[in-house]
Amino acid sequence: MKKLCVLLFLLVSYAVVAQDTIVLQSVEVNATAIRKNQAEVAMERKMDTALLKRLNTITMSQLLIQHSPVFIKTYGPGGVATASFRGTTASHTLVLWNGFQLNAPTLGQVDFSTIPVFMTEQIALKWGSGTSANSGGLGGTVNIENNQHFGEGVILDLKQTYGSFNSFGSYITAGYSWASHLVRVKAYRTSSDNDFEYINHADISHQVMKQKNGEFVDYGVMPEYQWRFRNSLLTIVSWNQWSDRNCPQIMTNLSNADRTKEYTENGYSRNFISYKTYWESGKIEVKSAYFYEKQHYYLKTYTNIGTPVNDVNSINDANVFHQIIDLNQNLYKSWKLNAKVQYDYEKVMSSNYDESEDADRHNMSFYAALTGKLLKPIDLRFTLRNDLVNWVSAGFFPTATVSYSCIYLKGLKINLGYSHNYRNPSLNDLYWYPGGKPDLRPEKGRTLDGNIIYSRKFGRFSIDGQIGSYYSQVQDWIQWVPSTWRYWVPENVATVTAYGAELHLKLNYFINDWNFSASGNYVYSRTTDNDDGLQLIYIPVHHANSYIEVRWKTWNLNYTMEFTGRRKTQMDNNETLAGRLNPYTLHHVALSKQIRKFNIEFKVNNITNVDYQAVLWRPMPGRSYEICLNFKI
Amino acid sequence: MKKKLFLLLFTFAIVVFSCKKDEEVKPYVPPINPVKGMFVLNEGTFMYANSSLSYYDMEAGTMENNVFYRVNEIPLGDVAQSLTKIDNDLYIVVNNSNYIYKVDAKSIEYKAKIEGFSSPRYMLPVGNGKAYVSDLESPGVYVLNLNTMENSFIETGSATEVMVKIGNEVFVSNWSNYYVAGASNKTVQVIDCVNDTLVADIEVAQEPNAMVVDKNNHIWVLCSGGYMPPQDPALLCIDPVSRTVINRFDFEAGADSPDGMAIDGKGENIYYLNGGYNSLSVYKMNVDNTQLPDTAFIASEGRWFYNLTIHPENGDIYITEAKPTSNGNLLRYTSDGTFVGTYEVGMFPSYMLFN
Repeated sequence: MKKLCVLLFLLVSYAVVAQDTIVLQSVEVNATAIRKNQAEVAMERKMDTALLKRLNTITMSQLLIQHSPVFIKTYGPGGVATASFRGTTASHTLVLWNGFQLNAPTLGQVDFSTIPVFMTEQIALKWGSGTSANSGGLGGTVNIENNQHFGEGVILDLKQTYGSFNSFGSYITAGYSWASHLVRVKAYRTSSDNDFEYINHADISHQVMKQKNGEFVDYGVMPEYQWRFRNSLLTIVSWNQWSDRNCPQIMTNLSNADRTKEYTENGYSRNFISYKTYWESGKIEVKSAYFYEKQHYYLKTYTNIGTPVNDVNSINDANVFHQIIDLNQNLYKSWKLNAKVQYDYEKVMSSNYDESEDADRHNMSFYAALTGKLLKPIDLRFTLRNDLVNWVSAGFFPTATVSYSCIYLKGLKINLGYSHNYRNPSLNDLYWYPGGKPDLRPEKGRTLDGNIIYSRKFGRFSIDGQIGSYYSQVQDWIQWVPSTWRYWVPENVATVTAYGAELHLKLNYFINDWNFSASGNYVYSRTTDNDDGLQLIYIPVHHANSYIEVRWKTWNLNYTMEFTGRRKTQMDNNETLAGRLNPYTLHHVALSKQIRKFNIEFKVNNITNVDYQAVLWRPMPGRSYEICLNFKI
Repeated sequence: MKKKLFLLLFTFAIVVFSCKKDEEVKPYVPPINPVKGMFVLNEGTFMYANSSLSYYDMEAGTMENNVFYRVNEIPLGDVAQSLTKIDNDLYIVVNNSNYIYKVDAKSIEYKAKIEGFSSPRYMLPVGNGKAYVSDLESPGVYVLNLNTMENSFIETGSATEVMVKIGNEVFVSNWSNYYVAGASNKTVQVIDCVNDTLVADIEVAQEPNAMVVDKNNHIWVLCSGGYMPPQDPALLCIDPVSRTVINRFDFEAGADSPDGMAIDGKGENIYYLNGGYNSLSVYKMNVDNTQLPDTAFIASEGRWFYNLTIHPENGDIYITEAKPTSNGNLLRYTSDGTFVGTYEVGMFPSYMLFN
């Protein structure tokens, strides 16, 4: 019995290590001995934290396209970048920050160019049955977490970057970590003239031009406080960010560029307080958040004769309250229960909405997950969620996951999952004026997932491979389509089938002062409209990336490759000239050297100076350089 | 070990990169007899710059798409609006790119790019080496000198749209008041095109989007009625001499949104598009009729009719069909409404011009 108690304690403690921000020194040693239920982690991939630290001056959009299976559609530096997870669209990628949804209630999407990797410590991708705790992630979820360590004393990390197109980045992390208190502030500022040269293929002379009106500045600050007492942890975090970005014109629309002023000013403040308490066989977390987000779009044009054209000045204010109670309790033997009750209230005030409509929404969610073992090698997980949208049931959404750990080949795991989920229309879909449709139905998705994971160490060599495939159907897919009234309207247009395969491989080998590592992702995704079987626009059938790193003593040389396959820009089999975008491959190289507490890095992006388009007629930069200086205690 | 590792990745990369080669762009061969043909302009999707020009050879019954790109190897631009042929030159007004491309009407070879507008819509030659260019964001019309390609401006106080010329007067509609402060969206303005001066304003209904001239030299004006209540969709007839509305036919406010009109070669029958949301059908009305037709001449049957035109000699009816996310079609009917054929064109085929 005593033995069992110890085991349980270890199990719980390990859960603490894995999921939360406390690191209990006594447990850390034993942690690897206890295996987490495989069915819980079967449908997720954690990004390498060492890589995140090394790449924390880039944005999430760059990180995901270069190091993950998630495809990013980008309008260029300083432009919107949205994610396509497993062949779905930006609205189907749910982003959770410490469990709170970051997707704006207005558009339902996240602009990954506004999330610096710097503001996070952990990023995990989840899909299929791994997204069961929330609605919205029909393609998958990107989970961003912050974590801290107690008892480490002074925290100081300074970074300064300078690169082509007069691009600056300054990053500071400062704080102090006592045995039971922790104070930390992160702050950053990035800016760029973003006036790179490109060949304008839309101009008869195909001349080299400089991008105009692309300047941007982003800055943010995140203070954090944590207090550990008895078996509890109190956390307060406030993430504040602003961005002021000019909007460059597409290659064909430069005639009036000098008479046009177009920009977006966005800002948000995301605040939460969380209280966690642990006991021998479980824990409970109560957390509250208040998010405020402001989006301002402004367009001012003057005519050729100098008269002003009526401004476009649209302002959206979104307020969201989140309340979450999350309980974890060990039941019997390996069986555990996770129960969550969540209430979210979203309210939007927008100059683009019909004032007579109340643009708000109440979301209530009841969730339970049961995990445990059936025999030794089989892990199971079942979840069920019931959501109320404006106090009306949206239905019951179950998932099931089965994991088999091969007893004949160590390190081999086979996972299968089924999930049923839904996504509410965004408030823009419902209330935009003109066009918004309050009677739009939510999208409902069903996904079948399977993957094989092989992860093993052989002395100096380690391998981590994953091959997976998915099949999903989304009913009542929402799409904005042009109408005869000359404005666009959202419609539940079709049933969409998405299927595909993902391949991930990571290898590592070290000898003496050398360390070699290589990783790569390849994704095949078919996303088709059931009516005509055509691939949806801007979703490449193939995309891939790879990363190779060589370390020798304090030197680090690395190479990154990203490949984006052909994409359609309209739904036709007849691929006309503007109807598709050609594939491209980008290569990036970086070299760094550690000198005591300093690190200096030199990067060359797009080293082969590839001329490409990620979005139709949007200029993209050719070769560019960056130098980065880091001081860390 | 290291070697193996790199080899593995290299193989991986090769597999990934072995992709289809780009298809060759087929060169455009101009038809031998270009007289019996029709240009179809496809406006494309806003901010996608996927406008295109198609050419339909009526005798051969063939459609050539992406003609402008195939000849000049540049995109036509963002939201191509209208076509005008002056002598042997074709002018393509590209609204959201704010320029007009001048090309050889036969070979489609690039000749000039005319800039200096704000949101150009339609172009009309008015004699004396001049053409008027209407503009959605400027309070008046631009006067383009066709020899020097330079601009001047006639201020009328409102944004301008479709134009017809009768004698020495140009009648221009004020379709939208969205971009110009204090502008009208329910008038037709009269400009003396010898002196380039505004001479009169005629009140019609909201959003006059099309104008044709009939056998009596009367101007018919089709007004969609606006997209926000209160709407007043109507078809009006103007006497250009007295500059008064001599006839007015009202559509059903809130239900109808007429858009697009053409007249046959004899100036006897008007054809227009009308109907409810996403279901515009073709209606036919004799100019001497005293009421609007009740039934459609060609029913949309689920298709999205975008614009129409009538062949001036044989009376054939050409309708463009748009599709929200893919290429549209050109539909051809004979004058009695018998279906002849359908031809795939580009995205949002919006404007047709007989060569």
